[in-house]
Amino acid sequence: MTEALYEIGRQTGIHVLMNSAWGWPTVESLHFLGLSLLIGAVGLFDLRMLGVARGVPMRAFHRMIPWGVGAYALNVATGFLFVTSAPDQYVYNPAFQVKLALMAVAGLNVLFFYRFVFARVRNAADDAPAPRSAKVAAAISLTCWVGVIVCGRLITYYRPPYHWCWWC
Amino acid sequence: MEYLVWLEGTAFSVWMRESGLAFFSGLILHALGMGFLVGVHVVTDLRVLGVAPGVPLPLMKRFRPVAGVALAVVIASGVLLLVAYPAKALTNPVFYVKLAAVAAALLVGRSLARGILSDAVHHGGRPPGSAGALAMLSIALWVTAITSGRFLAYTYNVLMASDPF
Repeated sequence: MTEALYEIGRQTGIHVLMNSAWGWPTVESLHFLGLSLLIGAVGLFDLRMLGVARGVPMRAFHRMIPWGVGAYALNVATGFLFVTSAPDQYVYNPAFQVKLALMAVAGLNVLFFYRFVFARVRNAADDAPAPRSAKVAAAISLTCWVGVIVCGRLITYYRPPYHWCWWC
Repeated sequence: MEYLVWLEGTAFSVWMRESGLAFFSGLILHALGMGFLVGVHVVTDLRVLGVAPGVPLPLMKRFRPVAGVALAVVIASGVLLLVAYPAKALTNPVFYVKLAAVAAALLVGRSLARGILSDAVHHGGRPPGSAGALAMLSIALWVTAITSGRFLAYTYNVLMASDPF
């Protein structure tokens, strides 16, 4: 699996970019910028549903969400550059594995939210508290994204001395 | 350099460096704090630039307490990381670029909050050009702060004052 990822990075020129002078830290900076925008759009929408900034109309503030989706796309793309440049540092790293799992939970939570909850949030009065189901979805979302940041920071700080990967 | 050597030798600085949990907690809190601090500011800038025009501008100020908490976390964790490796940051010009960018961005954010976000006339839609220019300056300053912060890990010349080479 790591060989295949590495081949993708080699054949697409990603390695040339990432090994160029300042390539890696520049892409890291973009990744952090994306993280901040994701927190700003999605995280603040979650906080609003949890009761912070009461009075901000949830329906109108939801127009920020596409910027969060764009930030997510930016971070999937920049994340792909890291992983294909040094796959063994990620695939075998429990911090990266937990990070992917939390992203999957956040994704399922998005599906749940828009399928069952969003209509009631959109129709709520500006000053009204969000319904309980929205608060649950918001809490799951915030917890997942905070966890994703923690795991992301852990990836480069702690490199396990052993390979731990049940699917390899 | 002498006071940096002294600071590195204090028990607290040694503990920050050698306790994996202490240093890692500093890194985590700094990343989370920056995420929320930049997030609140940039989303406010986007609103000033016309995104989500249905949100009344003054109400965007209600997210500022989140940025306040984030700033406190960023400063506290930043001081801890600085105490762990004082020479690493203080001898690197990029560190001062970061500090200046954050300070300027905070001032621009406050100026927007006291200006257009407190304006009784422009509640909805996109406010006039001068506010938009400030919002774009704010975004540019936060991008500078993030980029210089990330480059700190790659541009330092001295790791420890007591062991300069």
